[in-house]
Amino acid sequence: MNATEPMKAIKGGEFLIRETAADSIFIPEEWNEEQLMIAETCTNFLAQQVTPNLQRIDEQEEGLMKHLMDEAGALGLLGISVPEELGGFGKDFKTSMLVTEKLGAGHSFSVAFSAHTGIGTMPILYYGNEAQKQKYVPKLASGEWKGAYCLTEPAAGSDANSGKTRAKLSADGKHYLITGQKMWITNAGFADVFTVFAKIDEDENLSAFIVEKDFEGLSLNTEEHKMGIKGSSTRQVFFNDCKVPVENLLSERQNGFKIAVNILNLGRIKLGGGTVGASKDVITASVRYANEREQFGRAISKYGAIRYKLAQQAIRTYASESAVYRACQNMEEATEMLIESGLDETKAKLKGTEQYAIEAAILKVHASEVLDYVTDEGVQIYGGMGYSAEAPMDRAYRDSRINRIFEGTNEINRLLTVDMMLKRALKGELDLMGPAQKVAGELVSIPDFGANDDDNLFSKEKKYIANFKKAILMVAGAAVQKLMAQLGKEQEVLMNLADMLIELYVSESLQLRVEKLVSLRGEDACKEQLDIMRVYINDAAEHLAKSGREALNSFAEGDERRMMLMGLKRFTKTEDFNTTQARRNIAAKLIAENKYCF
Amino acid sequence: MSVIVLVEHTGGIIKKKNFEAVQYAAQIAKKTATTLTAVVLGNATNAEMEGLGAYGAQKVLHVADTRLNDLHARAYCKALLAAAEKEKSKIIITLHDISGRTVAPRVAVQLKAGIVAGALSIPDLEKGFVIKKAVFSGKAFAYVNILSDVKVIMLMPNAFPAVKAEGKAVVEQLAVSFDEKDFGVKVKSIDKVTGEVSLADAELVVSGGRGMKGPENWGILEDLAKELGAATACSRPVADSHWRPHHEHVGQTGGTVRPNLYIAVGISGAIQHLAGVNGSKTIVVINKDPEAPFFKAANYGIVGDAMEVLPRLTAAVRKFKEQHK
Amino acid sequence: MKILVCISQVPDTSTKIVLKNNDTSVNGDGVTYIINPYDEWYALVRAIELKEKGIASDIHLITVGKANVEPVIRKALSLGGDEAIRIDADSNDAYETAGYIAAYAAQVGYDLILCGKESIDYNNGITGTMLAGMLDMDYIGFATDIQVEAGVAVVKREVEGGEETDQCNLPLVISCQKGIAEARIPNMRGIMAARTRPLKVVEPSKIAALTAILSYELPPAKAGIKMISPDDMDQLVDLLHTEARVI
Repeated sequence: MNATEPMKAIKGGEFLIRETAADSIFIPEEWNEEQLMIAETCTNFLAQQVTPNLQRIDEQEEGLMKHLMDEAGALGLLGISVPEELGGFGKDFKTSMLVTEKLGAGHSFSVAFSAHTGIGTMPILYYGNEAQKQKYVPKLASGEWKGAYCLTEPAAGSDANSGKTRAKLSADGKHYLITGQKMWITNAGFADVFTVFAKIDEDENLSAFIVEKDFEGLSLNTEEHKMGIKGSSTRQVFFNDCKVPVENLLSERQNGFKIAVNILNLGRIKLGGGTVGASKDVITASVRYANEREQFGRAISKYGAIRYKLAQQAIRTYASESAVYRACQNMEEATEMLIESGLDETKAKLKGTEQYAIEAAILKVHASEVLDYVTDEGVQIYGGMGYSAEAPMDRAYRDSRINRIFEGTNEINRLLTVDMMLKRALKGELDLMGPAQKVAGELVSIPDFGANDDDNLFSKEKKYIANFKKAILMVAGAAVQKLMAQLGKEQEVLMNLADMLIELYVSESLQLRVEKLVSLRGEDACKEQLDIMRVYINDAAEHLAKSGREALNSFAEGDERRMMLMGLKRFTKTEDFNTTQARRNIAAKLIAENKYCF
Repeated sequence: MSVIVLVEHTGGIIKKKNFEAVQYAAQIAKKTATTLTAVVLGNATNAEMEGLGAYGAQKVLHVADTRLNDLHARAYCKALLAAAEKEKSKIIITLHDISGRTVAPRVAVQLKAGIVAGALSIPDLEKGFVIKKAVFSGKAFAYVNILSDVKVIMLMPNAFPAVKAEGKAVVEQLAVSFDEKDFGVKVKSIDKVTGEVSLADAELVVSGGRGMKGPENWGILEDLAKELGAATACSRPVADSHWRPHHEHVGQTGGTVRPNLYIAVGISGAIQHLAGVNGSKTIVVINKDPEAPFFKAANYGIVGDAMEVLPRLTAAVRKFKEQHK
Repeated sequence: MKILVCISQVPDTSTKIVLKNNDTSVNGDGVTYIINPYDEWYALVRAIELKEKGIASDIHLITVGKANVEPVIRKALSLGGDEAIRIDADSNDAYETAGYIAAYAAQVGYDLILCGKESIDYNNGITGTMLAGMLDMDYIGFATDIQVEAGVAVVKREVEGGEETDQCNLPLVISCQKGIAEARIPNMRGIMAARTRPLKVVEPSKIAALTAILSYELPPAKAGIKMISPDDMDQLVDLLHTEARVI
């Protein structure tokens, strides 16, 4: 693997077997002036319209959420990535991610916003025919109409294709009559357009339909009572011979599952961006509180226990963010290449996104778990006030929790991460076998101590990351070999592998980001970022070691197991490093700036 | 070579901040070995004008044109220029208030004079003509040197004490010929806020924030203000929610106050609010949230519910006033 | 009717002021800059409203600063305005700044010049008055409402102890404050249009500064707060009388 030259664009999943050049990735420190202006508009919108009204939103005050969506629409925020000819602003994927991130701190509003612009709009934009797009997309992009997405059913959650909702053609052949029950439908209470998944007759696969709220036979249940995101409208939607004109069939018959999967790819990475935004907001609140709250005569931000928490919150968030925008850029570049090769823009976007479905699943898991970590520690930093419904942490904590559940539970996404990786290897799209065998060979050879490595600022971390890849290839290779067809049933092993892949992808993205940042700003201006990188990768090595050991111990035996455990130890070894001091440095910067500042 | 100072009056009554300006100007006159001439525009009684002597003015130039009872930038400027010419003044002083800020910069332009707005100190002549002023909304001070021959200073109200002494100024009439153009801005109507202390000039201010919970609770805040003889103010969210009129809003984007005492009730103390009040000499914060950042900027703090604390404070003030009659 | 709006770049309101070079200058590292709120929320937004009502035909924005102020002026353009002018000079002397703007404004000829009541960095609030003096125009300060009809402006303004309604023929300089307009957020259309709107860079005329800032100083830290029991308001009144000496 050391022989492979860093190359500009790597394909989806290839991060496991290739190196990436730091200058090829996009880092959030590179936003241009226009993008920063758009971000500021989002921040101001939240500050002026959403944040002061969070309580009223959570009480579901009549018409308030719809009004806020109208306001967001008037600012143009609902049409960021919709092409200009369909009433949007035609901005690139990164910009729409930036908007998602900045509005990610809007609690229930963020959910309504994401659902509308993502699953509410994208199915029609990406899969609609010209007439369908012309009819619906401009209205969705302006916010005149609100969108929702009906996939989940009471008995069909993660297993979406098992839904019971059925469509049949009417006697005159002019309508499909849809009958069934959909559940957990975000924005249902005020949506004008629903993308509804149902099987036609006894089809094996789902089809998708565009259903307007006034179509005969559609009705709504009352609002669900939820743990968090209480202001987000979530209802059951009932279809009782709901009359849908045949021209409202989206894409082709039985193409629905593919639509659902592809739209979810987009949704997952977007969720990554949104939760990064929410994390930053919680960190800022945590830092401010820690600076204000005094105990034993000093601000609690002066105490090491609190500093540790603040640093950890920032480290994980910064790492997640690095990976989100790296993947974003990959998707965008893949899309551009596909357009150049002659594909039309929307197809190219879908395909470009699909290529990085592994990364999207990784980001969904990582960023949502970071947000949960960040809010949990946020509550802790607030102490007694953290448990009070008067302080902001109560809402943050409850609202965070859904992110590990929707857009595919984190367990499903972990399974998908490994599953997609192995499927691509089987299809020959991803050469895992060669590198895995090479690692196996290395296990029985004399270890390379890297004495000749040139000693630049990043050589250590680059070496660690190269080793992480070896560790994963070793464990995954052995798992495939040992368990063969049984692997799919050994979910614990799959979870271990997924965790290793997640840590690898995020570590590498973080390392590349900091490397590029140093090349732009110089080492002196990036001291805290270097510390963030070092601490994160140091911790990642331990997580990889633990996950790898668990997996190996579950299926390997005897000498082979011993050898691989030794290999794992070698591949996850890091030099001793004073993480305490590094965390203090990071916290000191946060405390001085009195906000999340990286 | 006299120093001249503009003295404003409202309906013939001269407010305390003008005595501050006169005394400040008198000290500068003394420092530069010259005399002080005050300029009074419009209707004013001789007794009031002569009284300026008690604060250090030797002379008063009175431009008696009644049209000057209202603030007219051009006409005020012309009158001050005429006075400056007559006295051959090199130093012209006004207050840093509405009238001063409307007139002084215009005078400075005509005289090609460097200007310091919101002066907080007597000029330091050792390093030139250096005056201290607040910048960045009170987050720093700057020492500004005036380089030009003629100098214009706008004194920050309530930054300099006015102590009455003996003395009587000589009042002289000054004739200035105005054109129609000098009164180009026609006053259509004046809506004086009566019966209340004007916020910008107030020495005591009682201010309410969101912690007051609603406009219906303002009675107890007004009771305290009345008992103290204080003006009432509010924070931005309160004005934005239309609980109180906009002119009461103090803070970064509202008004700035520099009273001797600022009592903040149920205001958390956002940095934007502090920017409008951090020139206050003494700050009392009443808030039920012990973590409210305002406590950091306060001299005295009370953690408690405004609804309970305010009536108690009002009663305590009443008791104090009776004891100190 | 042509309106000129004066825009100033200032540090964000939450900026912590740090001094450098032996306290002779303010450290700009890491400072976020914004449009002076009085210029943005009141002067600029009111100008835009007058254009939306069809009363104003052109809105020009003007600022004095080096190239690093361009992001802020483009942000102002994203709210509205037909073109922007940057006078390529750096000054914190009001006479110099006003002189540059006056020289440009005299060439173009504006019916209405709007500025904020003061900038939140140097807190002078004198540029507008100086402009009026230099251009021999009428001036109304601290306006809370501006209506314009047929070349006549009706302006409400704050005066000592109240409010006054004035009437004046154009041309006119007005300094604006709270009440005149509601804050706006730039929308996507405005942000995208801002790039295409002209931003002219103008060489400054020759004007010498009449003041110079020699040094800065940070205020001393507040002495510790005294906490008083909510049940003992007599103690507070006593302290205000004997210790603080404010009542």
